[in-house]
Amino acid sequence: MKIVVCIKQVPKSDSVKIDPKTNNMVRDNVEGVINPFDKNAIEEALRIKDQLGGEVILLSMGPDGYMSSLRDGLAMGADRAILLSSRAFGGADTLATGYPISQAIKKIGGVDLVLLGRQSVDADTGQVGPIVAEYLNVPQVTFAEELRFVDEHTLYGQRLLDGATQSVQVTLPAVVMVRSELNTPRYETPVNIQTSFEKPIDVWTEHDLDLDATRIGQAGSPTTVQKVYAPKREGRQTVQLSDDSATAVKELLARIRN
Amino acid sequence: MENQEKMAASMLHRMVREFTENELAPLDMEIDAQGDYPQGLFQKVIDNGLLTMTLPREYGGAGFSYDSVAKAIHLMAIGNASMAVTLEGHFKTLEQLLKYGDQRLKDEYLTSAAHRIFAFSQTESSGGSNPRGIATRAVKSGDDWIITGDKIMITNGGLAQVYCVLAKTEDDQMAVFVVDQDMPGFSFGKREDFIGLRGTPVGEIVMDHIKVPGYHLLGQIGQGLEIGNNAHDDARILMGAVLTGIMEHELQIAVDYSKQRKALDTPLYELQTIQEKISEIAIARQNTELLYQHAAQLKITGQSYAQVAAMAKSYGSRAAVRCGDMALQVLAGYGYSREYPIEHLIRDARAMEIAEGTVERMSGEIALKQVNQ
Repeated sequence: MKIVVCIKQVPKSDSVKIDPKTNNMVRDNVEGVINPFDKNAIEEALRIKDQLGGEVILLSMGPDGYMSSLRDGLAMGADRAILLSSRAFGGADTLATGYPISQAIKKIGGVDLVLLGRQSVDADTGQVGPIVAEYLNVPQVTFAEELRFVDEHTLYGQRLLDGATQSVQVTLPAVVMVRSELNTPRYETPVNIQTSFEKPIDVWTEHDLDLDATRIGQAGSPTTVQKVYAPKREGRQTVQLSDDSATAVKELLARIRN
Repeated sequence: MENQEKMAASMLHRMVREFTENELAPLDMEIDAQGDYPQGLFQKVIDNGLLTMTLPREYGGAGFSYDSVAKAIHLMAIGNASMAVTLEGHFKTLEQLLKYGDQRLKDEYLTSAAHRIFAFSQTESSGGSNPRGIATRAVKSGDDWIITGDKIMITNGGLAQVYCVLAKTEDDQMAVFVVDQDMPGFSFGKREDFIGLRGTPVGEIVMDHIKVPGYHLLGQIGQGLEIGNNAHDDARILMGAVLTGIMEHELQIAVDYSKQRKALDTPLYELQTIQEKISEIAIARQNTELLYQHAAQLKITGQSYAQVAAMAKSYGSRAAVRCGDMALQVLAGYGYSREYPIEHLIRDARAMEIAEGTVERMSGEIALKQVNQ
């Protein structure tokens, strides 16, 4: 089983600060960590490898600083890592991220399964996984809280949605985005930390991939972020309805109508 | 290479911090109350490779330097000092096998050190700081040795499977042998009911004519005291680390409480008498960290470290007890309550005024070194 896990480096959540003047995220000296949902994806890949054998390859796109997160993933037990890194990829939105990622997966070749976290905790879009699936033209399972193999070519997944679950079955190759309910990521062990430095991290630029240069980076991004700001915390008015449910419904209706 | 070592050490420390926060710190009070590790906890330590930190790569270990491991022990002790001391006992013993062990012995035993715990046993009922008075005997029998005697107050006694044992030969020479719990004639005695570090098992082993192969001798006959002292020195560095962790815990509790609690309308931390206590704890914590890190640096660079290691343990243990008392006073009534962990941190720290050589013995060693320089 050849599994690619796409990971993103995000600011450690308890070290994120918003500049009160500019409303922008302060990124200087902020510790970068693996997006927490992506750790669930790595864990699942490692469990599948433990069960079925194969290879776990980490794939990320970003500056050199992302090496540390790839190294962390290798210390969890992944076999090797690839970083797409070049000025040409800078400023990419989700579409211009998913495109080179999918081209890299094609270049790796023979990939049975692509795993990602359900979304990143910094941008929260959850779009890259579906975009990669569409570019690869393979089935996708989003919000997976349970995964198991029906046979070596078929994967059963349970999707946890708002107030409902949905069972799906896909034929490999497939792209799966996982929820934190799926598993508990393992710790890096002292031995795995040391061996992570013996595992390769290859850096690929736009020249290493078969790419349409107009579809990468900021120029290839149809969307742009205009402003990032912390939502204002406004005190909201709360009203206590009566304990009796029939009366409470009447009170609620009266308030909605008014 | 140096940069890689730094990055690896930083990853190790983050891993230990996460493991401690998730797995150990939430059980800290329970471990103290129950006087043991909960079922399965020690297995988690093994499964996550924490016994391998100092073990060289060729034996299946991670091969981190002693200063990096000492820092990891420090971070673990912030969440639970008992488990940090259990690892200290294991690592100091591995150091002696590595330094003095026959290659055959290393190949046989160190390859199992990732999942078996090792302990060093010196103390007998005649006294811990008087090794020449021990009664354990090693009698030569062909290529083997026959070991007979009782050892008490062994850190990890009962938990460990492999023991380095200080014994006297027929011609009254001191020697250290490696004894396995699976050898015929080996049995466990009672576990001590200590007032602090209550998770760390401290117990007795009984050796009844145990036949030990010749290559289980560490170093040479007559080197026993040197090996025992070396084990003490290695342990004292890590004890300095444990004590730094305990003081960091004491400091956190005192600082957090001083921010929440008000005396009339003034937060406690604005009161000069409280500031004095907080600053004293912070200074003592910092001093102990500098001492154990310096001792570790001397060790890994091949310099004499016994003196500074003794200072780390001696200064650190007295300071951690005193700082615990100051933190308790910051919390006043709550500090005196078992609801807060300060009282058990004082009991934990108190153990290290005794273990691995009493502070009185440390004072003697430090003073004589100064006088004879």
